[in-house]
Amino acid sequence: MSYLVCVLLFGLMVGSVGVASNRSPYFAAMGLVMVSGVGCGVLICFGGSFLPLVFFLIYLGGMMVVFAFSAALSAEPYPYGWGNRSVKMYVAAYVLGVGCAWKVLLGKWSGFWGGNLDESGELLVLRGDMMGVAAMHDVGGWMLVLGGLGLLLTLFVVLELVRGVSRGGLRTV
Amino acid sequence: MNPYLLIVLLTSLGLGTALTLSSTHWLLAWLGLEVGTLAILPLMAQRHHPRATEAATKYFIVQATAAATLLFAAFNNAWLQGHSDIQHMSHPLFTSMITLALLLKLGLAPMHTWMPQVIQGVSLNTGLIVSTWQKIAPFILLLQIKQIHPPLLTIIGLASILIGGWGGLNQTQLRKILAYSSIAHLGWILLILQHSTALATYALLIYIFMTSATFITLKKCKATTINMLTTTWTKAPTITLVAPLMLLSLGGLPPLSGFAPKWFILQELTQLNFIPHASIAAMAALLSLSYYLRLSYSITLSLSPNNLPECLQWRVNYPISTPLSSALPAALALTLFLLPLTPSALTLII
Repeated sequence: MSYLVCVLLFGLMVGSVGVASNRSPYFAAMGLVMVSGVGCGVLICFGGSFLPLVFFLIYLGGMMVVFAFSAALSAEPYPYGWGNRSVKMYVAAYVLGVGCAWKVLLGKWSGFWGGNLDESGELLVLRGDMMGVAAMHDVGGWMLVLGGLGLLLTLFVVLELVRGVSRGGLRTV
Repeated sequence: MNPYLLIVLLTSLGLGTALTLSSTHWLLAWLGLEVGTLAILPLMAQRHHPRATEAATKYFIVQATAAATLLFAAFNNAWLQGHSDIQHMSHPLFTSMITLALLLKLGLAPMHTWMPQVIQGVSLNTGLIVSTWQKIAPFILLLQIKQIHPPLLTIIGLASILIGGWGGLNQTQLRKILAYSSIAHLGWILLILQHSTALATYALLIYIFMTSATFITLKKCKATTINMLTTTWTKAPTITLVAPLMLLSLGGLPPLSGFAPKWFILQELTQLNFIPHASIAAMAALLSLSYYLRLSYSITLSLSPNNLPECLQWRVNYPISTPLSSALPAALALTLFLLPLTPSALTLII
């Protein structure tokens, strides 16, 4: 089981490096798909049930789709992929960084494997992440309302920033 | 801008600051800060020229970085401590990280480089909002964090006063001068924050009055460079009379109200035996005073060459009315005449 977690975390690192090193949002989004899929697998290995579902449904199926639409709107004719020299430089730098972190931290996290998602350490009927979501809707109701207000404001702000075709912030929309 | 949208954005600005001021949990504080950041972006970019768009982009990136650092450190602290209370943070690393994030939001040295560029790129009214209203929420959060590493606040405060003074010396654009003035004033506020939160609040309040009066005055004169200030006497002679006093109040000279915060800060520092801090701050204030004096010279103390029709603008256009004109007398009165009222003003805060 810990070997599976190792493989999934390695995939997470590869995907993160792919996201961070890209100048083009299309390929970075592909890296994000890989990261969220693999991260979902890591969460399942640690006992989560709800959060991996949220990852796939909401993150990939909701936010990533919307991002793909808006990236397609602001299309550029020659996007930089991973074959480009500057992107390869970034990939090398990030892999070097990951290697340095690995050297520094190796052996200091021995108590990491075999933990549970909710960190309570006791036997519970419900999973930790489910309890958290229920609490968010129950006692955290007003915070959810404020969060929704903030997101609605974000919508208005973005629409105002990009309207106006050639006079707005985004010339093609 | 669409009036409905303008109302929504201004209300959201107020809502964001109100959320942060009323929060005891870091998540709500972060939410308020983010709402405030988002609400001002269309106001900054509403003219849609590249300078404004660039200023809005830089502002957003800086504030988002600071907010992300804030959230990261707050949740790390909550993980280690068990609760996300703002007033009971105990982990020194994450307290310092949150402090640095809030200082980046305020625009203090060495994280100040975005301030002159952002304030230069936006209009005078929006620059007023960025300089005054957007400083309140991070400042209140700073007040509530206990046990900040004292050398951090002292070094950043002194560096801000020095950089605010030296940076403004070579500027001819008025909005950049006011940005450096903002950096210097916030340096004074930060210097006294660890010793007396009441004095820091008082200093911020007087700074908000003075900066509001200055921005509104500049808007009325339609001046954005020092050269454009020289024709103020043709447009509004009353402003020509009062503007040097307002600028000297920014510089901290008695008997104007800008003297009171500096006076009490120096007194508090000397009573606590921080003589080098007080000396450096007092001498660095002279740097700021020199560019305020340069502005006063351009407005009042010299008469620039002009042709005859332009000398009589005040006859044709009087009174110059901008949307914030009605706030100018109040702001000016608070900028000039508050010093004798300081004892009663301080009782409001202590």
